[in-house]
Amino acid sequence: MRSLLLAAVAAYLIAAIHSILAFVNKRRSLQRVAEWSTAAGFILHTGSLAADWVIDGHYPLFSLREALSFLAWALVALYCLVIYRYRTQAVGAFTMPLISVLTLVALLIGTSPNAPATFSTTWLFPIHTTLLIFAYAAFAIAFMASVMYLLQERELKLKTFGAIFHRLPPLTTVNELATSAAALGLLLLTLGMVSGVIWSSMRFGRFWRNDPKEIFALLTWLLYFVLIIYRLTAHWRGRSAAWLGVVGFALVLLTFFGARFLGGYHVFG
Amino acid sequence: MTILLVGVNHKTAPVEIRERLAFNDEACANGLRQLVDGDVVREGLIVSTCNRVEILGATAKDQLEFGAGRITHFLDTSGHLPPGFLETHLYRHTDEEAVRHVFRVASSLDSMVVGEPQILGQVRHAYAIGVETGTVGKVLNRLVHHTFRVAKRVRSETGIASSAVSISYMAVELGKKIFGALKGCTVMLIGAGEMAELSARHLVNAGAKRVIIANRTEATARHMAAEFGATTVPLDQMDRHLAEADVVICSTGAPDYVVTAERTRKALERRRNRPTCFIDISVPRNIEPFVSKIPNVFLFDIDDLESVISSNIREREREAERAELIVQSEVMQFQQKLRLMDIGPSIGALRQNMQTIAREELIRQRKRLGPLTEEQEAAIESLLMSTVNKISHPILNQMRRFYETSEPEAVELPKDPFGLEE
Repeated sequence: MRSLLLAAVAAYLIAAIHSILAFVNKRRSLQRVAEWSTAAGFILHTGSLAADWVIDGHYPLFSLREALSFLAWALVALYCLVIYRYRTQAVGAFTMPLISVLTLVALLIGTSPNAPATFSTTWLFPIHTTLLIFAYAAFAIAFMASVMYLLQERELKLKTFGAIFHRLPPLTTVNELATSAAALGLLLLTLGMVSGVIWSSMRFGRFWRNDPKEIFALLTWLLYFVLIIYRLTAHWRGRSAAWLGVVGFALVLLTFFGARFLGGYHVFG
Repeated sequence: MTILLVGVNHKTAPVEIRERLAFNDEACANGLRQLVDGDVVREGLIVSTCNRVEILGATAKDQLEFGAGRITHFLDTSGHLPPGFLETHLYRHTDEEAVRHVFRVASSLDSMVVGEPQILGQVRHAYAIGVETGTVGKVLNRLVHHTFRVAKRVRSETGIASSAVSISYMAVELGKKIFGALKGCTVMLIGAGEMAELSARHLVNAGAKRVIIANRTEATARHMAAEFGATTVPLDQMDRHLAEADVVICSTGAPDYVVTAERTRKALERRRNRPTCFIDISVPRNIEPFVSKIPNVFLFDIDDLESVISSNIREREREAERAELIVQSEVMQFQQKLRLMDIGPSIGALRQNMQTIAREELIRQRKRLGPLTEEQEAAIESLLMSTVNKISHPILNQMRRFYETSEPEAVELPKDPFGLEE
């Protein structure tokens, strides 16, 4: 449903602009506008996805366009969760522009070929893709929190506080946010991969194909697994964990986009 | 009515003069009663703090000079100073300038430390005394309420007061930056200096849960501990408690490092790498500088604090520029309101307009009357004018009544049918 998506893009753009302005000017009233328009955008976006599902007759997560749009939707959902749980409004100034760009690109790509019936008939496949999209969104949040951590940690160590410093959420908050986002991402990634393996073995009788995407996903999984284990047991906090969060996200991006160019039977999701 | 402001502040007068002029509450009320005579100075308000003594008055437009002179004289006599002595120290603002000054003062833009929060409370207090004494009338009432609004706007829309500009408050800012809300944080003081105590007090006010004091002389530590429910520990058992502390403020007079990198590393291990903020306000330094190289430890010595403070002051100044824009637009709004409140010009314009109509009619009909004696001319003139006055009287009265009941917008109503604009 293009008109709904267009409206959602507009709402996200308004939210992005107001988030950035609120971040720069430290104004609560602007932040409120940003939050309301994010909520409005989310509702419109949900409507557009639901309409796509009904009209196209398949779960709206298959092509690149659908994957981008769905990823943006998952990001908004997680962003709302972050705002609700941590009250770190500054995250919006980073997330909302990304969300706007993702939905805008999805809008510009236009129509996409219908998914083969093979994919739309089983119920396990949509679960596989949805879980993974949410995992990517969670890793994106973890990445942003890690960057915020590193920026602030640097300024605290160097004792030169710039304009950004006064506007970012406290160090322990972003640390906690990065940890829980990474943990959530890892959980979703695990479930997503397991569901993929089950689906593949049910459908084709093979559970592993040495597909580039599968290999990258496994690497990503390992990296975040190490990160979480370190955070939980070795009390590995701060800088090094944050760097791992940044590197991990590079791997996520490779999994999401890169694997496509290396061939393989995975398309998206 | 015009607003008039006469006063001295920390920039124009040294403390010797300011202290002579300062009013306490009682002197303030008495002074106001003496100053506000309902004739020249119709309304008055005295703002007296350690950095400024300012008298705010409302006078009729044509009595501005006279009013300013009266207030100056009043300051001279109340401070027992020879006439003319204050001349070089006093500033006088009238009208728009006075409004701007009041807005700037209450928004803490004119303070010694820009953005300090006390001044608004002091203005509020001065207003309360003025109201109690009955020297605050319509004009100052409006001005002060508008002032509160401006100060609130400046505070919420700019970051003028958001960063710390004193060493004792820096601990709170750094603590908040690292730990978020300080709720549940433990503060440890090594050495019980005055500055450390002040910092700890700020931290406790900001939500810190526990304070541990380690001091060489235990009596001093106990004395301080009693004040804010802290626990004291001997200095040689410091290691055991270092692991519990989130914020450590060090201010002993020891000649060498009290907190070494080795000690810190051990403590950090025990506290499972949770971040720690060390603040070293002692000279010579008591915390080994190498400590700052340890991950998850943030060390600030006195020079670091000073440099952060000066960068915070610069940040406040940047924010103050934005605040000036807010003040500017609010001054314009207030001036507009004040113009509406002033009834004199409205009444004059209306009367003038009616008289002109009558005179023009007379000129039009004059030819038909033929030659008249001077007496007859005068009679016609007075006939016209008294008719005009009698007709306009109830209208003007109505306008005055509207004005008295504080409906300045309604004052404009009778002007409309005559097409009168400013």
